[in-house]
Amino acid sequence: MSDGELRTDGSGATANSRWNLDGVTVEDAALYVVLALAAAFYLVPIESGLVTSFKTGTAIVETAPFAPPGASGFTFEKWQTATDALLRGMGNSLLYAVPATIISALIGSITAYGLTIPNWKASYKALVLALIIAGIFIPYQAVLVPLTQFWSQWVQLSDLLSFVWALGIDDDYVGIVELVVTHVAYGIPICTLLFRTYYKTMSDEMMESARLDGASLRRVYRRIVLPLSGPMFAVVLIYQFTQIWNDLLFTLVIVSTESSPAAPVVLILAGLGTSMEGQDFALRMAGAFFAALPTLAVYILFGDEFAEGVAA
Amino acid sequence: MATLELDSVTKTFQDGDEEIVAVDDISMSIDDGEFLVVVGPSGCGKSTTLRMIAGLETITSGTIALGDRVINDVKSQDRDIAMVFQSYALYPHMSVKQNMSFGLEESTDLPDDEISRMVTETGELLDIGELLGRKPKDLSGGQQQRVALGRAIVRDPEVFLMDEPLSNLDAKLRAEMRTELQRLQNDLGVTTVYVTHDQTEAMTMGDRIAILDGGELQQIAEPLKCYHEPANQFVASFLGEPSMNFFDVTRDGDRLVGDVFEYPVGDDVRANLGETTDLVLGIRPEAIELVEGESDAHEFEMTVDVVEPMGDENTVYLHFDPDADPESAETLVATIDGFTRVSEGDTVTARIPEDAIHLFDRVTGEALHNRSMEDAADQVNLT
Repeated sequence: MSDGELRTDGSGATANSRWNLDGVTVEDAALYVVLALAAAFYLVPIESGLVTSFKTGTAIVETAPFAPPGASGFTFEKWQTATDALLRGMGNSLLYAVPATIISALIGSITAYGLTIPNWKASYKALVLALIIAGIFIPYQAVLVPLTQFWSQWVQLSDLLSFVWALGIDDDYVGIVELVVTHVAYGIPICTLLFRTYYKTMSDEMMESARLDGASLRRVYRRIVLPLSGPMFAVVLIYQFTQIWNDLLFTLVIVSTESSPAAPVVLILAGLGTSMEGQDFALRMAGAFFAALPTLAVYILFGDEFAEGVAA
Repeated sequence: MATLELDSVTKTFQDGDEEIVAVDDISMSIDDGEFLVVVGPSGCGKSTTLRMIAGLETITSGTIALGDRVINDVKSQDRDIAMVFQSYALYPHMSVKQNMSFGLEESTDLPDDEISRMVTETGELLDIGELLGRKPKDLSGGQQQRVALGRAIVRDPEVFLMDEPLSNLDAKLRAEMRTELQRLQNDLGVTTVYVTHDQTEAMTMGDRIAILDGGELQQIAEPLKCYHEPANQFVASFLGEPSMNFFDVTRDGDRLVGDVFEYPVGDDVRANLGETTDLVLGIRPEAIELVEGESDAHEFEMTVDVVEPMGDENTVYLHFDPDADPESAETLVATIDGFTRVSEGDTVTARIPEDAIHLFDRVTGEALHNRSMEDAADQVNLT
């Protein structure tokens, strides 16, 4: 009632049309303030990094980290240097990150299908699933020594692939193949778990209907399950790609030197802008942003499906 | 087309250390082209039976044969059986046409244009010709139901299995689809097993109905035979709405003695009872007549407790003793003509005709005496 009476007042109506604050309570206002602060808290480091990457050496010293460089302190030079240094590594990284991501997602999907739908005995499925979930919790650090031994003593991939090196490809690239296999093996557990959760929500009756329609297990996967897995593939591809792209530990162990022609981007980035004279902050920032571009691209590309998959 | 033969089919589930019998030694034979409705309360094993026929559940013991072929160990996809699910189970990423083509593509070697022709034809038959290009999510429940049916029909299988296919539709659409399904099944002549918990569907659709309870087959017969000549008290109580009135009675010579009334019976009824004295008297609500004055031993003066007008008829709840507590007193439910005026508190005379009573063994539940179907039919002809 009082609201209605207020609106008959002329000045009140004008105020309403400009700032519709009638319904805003103290709680609402507080909520928006907190949200704005939280957003600033998360965005400041990124903003600082971005502006820093465009600063000259003197601008870094003279301006606050989050302040823009100003006309005199602005330069593209550091981006230029970072791009030149990292481009080679980008190619190498894509060479193992893309195959490893796709292969681990596919294997995870097929394994999850096997664990969810067919009429296996539940106790067998539980055992396999327990093993797979255990795999998720093995820390990278714990396998570094066995991993090195595996590739250096048990499976000498370099010898097995000698015909490839005969074609004129540098034999350091064996590291890329080893990284693909290692990341696929490490990615299968989490991929399987994610897909299994998704497949659990698929209608049993639909699967049974497909079986009654005459489709074999393999055909049901190919024609029903796989086409319906889109959203979960987006989640798994983004997650796996980011993991593999950003991983430094395995590349350190398997490829080890940044001077190698097969050095991935993370390895080069680790040494970029560090020298005896000190840290080149602008170069390090430019390098970090440049190296993060592919993961950003993947997020943007699969964003819609990602949201759908996370909701499911 | 083929006959479907279930021989001593049993299904047990293991639940911890306990063994649960879901389907207990069911034998039945479904003729070529027959429409059999399997009906029973939830948990009676009807869906499990259907899923065993489909090959979606293993059979613990017994055999299922399609024609001359035992199909116990034949995989679902090789059984040539089509099933319509309660949830329709359409493939959401495929158009209606692709949904209907899927089965033919997977189970036959037919060329694409032949499949396309058959799907279009079936689409026309089911009146969904214009919907073939749409996705399931763009269809109403009734249309999805038709697609699910079409997907089964287009394959021209040996047997149709239907698992409560109409239960997700609203009442009006359900009645329409009931008639249409019957007509389709008649035209196509495919052996059909139809599972439902809805007794209207059971009574109206099937050539025969099989009534299950607790995993056991109670009776398999024509719907009217089950209704008028139930094999036991469960069947009698399951079919019919409102359900049959039951009173515990003890036979004493030529009289049946209940808690609040005595009912004399003739020689022909007594001949059916043998030595059994602990009985249950059953009478259908529609067999009870309200008459003027009490002039016969089969007529009882009763008090009207509640009247439920349904329009075409009234459902009347009657008590033998006007002073009895309505919560606990034995109630007789009668359905009478909608124009008969009765109101709560009235005293009326109810006639329980001797030729309409059923008598069951109180211990085993088995029917000892049923009204004969011929008598029931005669009465209908007279009125």
